[in-house]
Amino acid sequence: MSSLHQIRFLLCKDLRVELRKKESLVSMAFFGALILVILNIATGIGKQVDAETGAGILWVAVMFSSVLGLGRVFAREKENGCVAALLISPAAPWEIYVAKALVNFTLMVLSELVLVPVFYVLFGAQLQGTPLTLVPILLLVNLGFSVTGTLISAISAGTRRNEVLLPILLFPLLLPLIAFAVKATSAALAARPFAELLDQLEPMAAFCVIFAVVGYLLFPFAIRED
Amino acid sequence: MNQATPESNKVDSSVFLTISELRKSYGSREALRGINLDLKRGEFLCLFGPNGAGKSTLLKILATLLRPSSGTVQVLDYDLEEHAEKFRANLGMVSHQSFVYQDLTVLENLEFFAALYGVQDSQSRALELLEEVNLVDRYDMPAANLSRGMQQRLSIARALVNDPALLLLDEPYTGLDEHAASVLRDQLQKLHSRKRTIVMVTHNLRRGLESATRLGILAHGKLTYLQEKKDIDATAFEEIYFKHLGAA
Repeated sequence: MSSLHQIRFLLCKDLRVELRKKESLVSMAFFGALILVILNIATGIGKQVDAETGAGILWVAVMFSSVLGLGRVFAREKENGCVAALLISPAAPWEIYVAKALVNFTLMVLSELVLVPVFYVLFGAQLQGTPLTLVPILLLVNLGFSVTGTLISAISAGTRRNEVLLPILLFPLLLPLIAFAVKATSAALAARPFAELLDQLEPMAAFCVIFAVVGYLLFPFAIRED
Repeated sequence: MNQATPESNKVDSSVFLTISELRKSYGSREALRGINLDLKRGEFLCLFGPNGAGKSTLLKILATLLRPSSGTVQVLDYDLEEHAEKFRANLGMVSHQSFVYQDLTVLENLEFFAALYGVQDSQSRALELLEEVNLVDRYDMPAANLSRGMQQRLSIARALVNDPALLLLDEPYTGLDEHAASVLRDQLQKLHSRKRTIVMVTHNLRRGLESATRLGILAHGKLTYLQEKKDIDATAFEEIYFKHLGAA
């Protein structure tokens, strides 16, 4: 059977469970919105923020909320030893990796459909850029976060304190991506020329490619018991 | 391996599985200390042994979940480690963990695994198996709502979804009521009559003795006893087993 079919079956299974239970999605969107509200209070309700501060606020909310969903995707596989059932199936480990990364990517996109409007309601009054200019940045961060996070969550899922270990291992790796994303977002929110945005998008794309290859190579070892 | 899978190439070979000098260590602790074993197609081997004897480790290696520290496992002359991905299509496993998704329904679980194994018409296959394990009336129930015995029956159906040539059973009778245990026994007898090779590890002497064609005892990571069941009666085997337990 083709790899595409295997990935589709794995992806559909996870999305079916997630859309039925909405555990990850609701907690991600709610937690992210809560962070935005707290930061709105902290910066002073009604006070306007500049593009640099706004970019920082958006990515704090997206990063911390996304890590909630990431942990849950693998925790479900650990219940009843389901990960072993996948490993003894004809699905190759890299197919499992791609499917899990796509699940995380989808969950991030769905939660951002809530978080970005909330961000604009709370902080958007003086921001000049339109939300549409954020789309390529959000997609690249989602991709980078998913390919890195899927590998790290497979490693941390095998440990006792995985919910603690996951952000501790993941966030340092994501720092370059987040740094470029903050710069790109502040350029987008300030409606600066697209060339300035592109300068940040290129290294972000490179980050995604590098960590996708690393994930593809290391995931089979990360997911096994030995 | 694309054209010649272990299953398709040498169907009539008498020796199905060969384990040679198999060792597995966890740090300084040796879980398996040189296992040698040949299994013919259609044999039903039951391995008994005390806790920590290495039974589950051996099954995990056969299931390609663990890599051995040294030694080889060959299935129809093909090295299991080298051709693991192709061989998995012919493998089934029942463990004391159910390997089923709690948030999916009974039918969705089987359909998912059937699709993963490339079974044509996964829904028909799933319903056929649910009929066999007497769960067809619970097809739309989430697996989380099933009793332990029912989950194990679902687990048996899941393991059979690809009609495996090699079935591995790790303490499959744990937590089963009499009904579920008889369903499992019937399924095993059916598979055995269709020349499927079965390896079961268990503490349950009665269940092991009623189904197996070959009996083995694993102690301290070594296969200390191996005999055709027809060559020994149940009482004599029980005595030997308890002697081995005492020694372990």
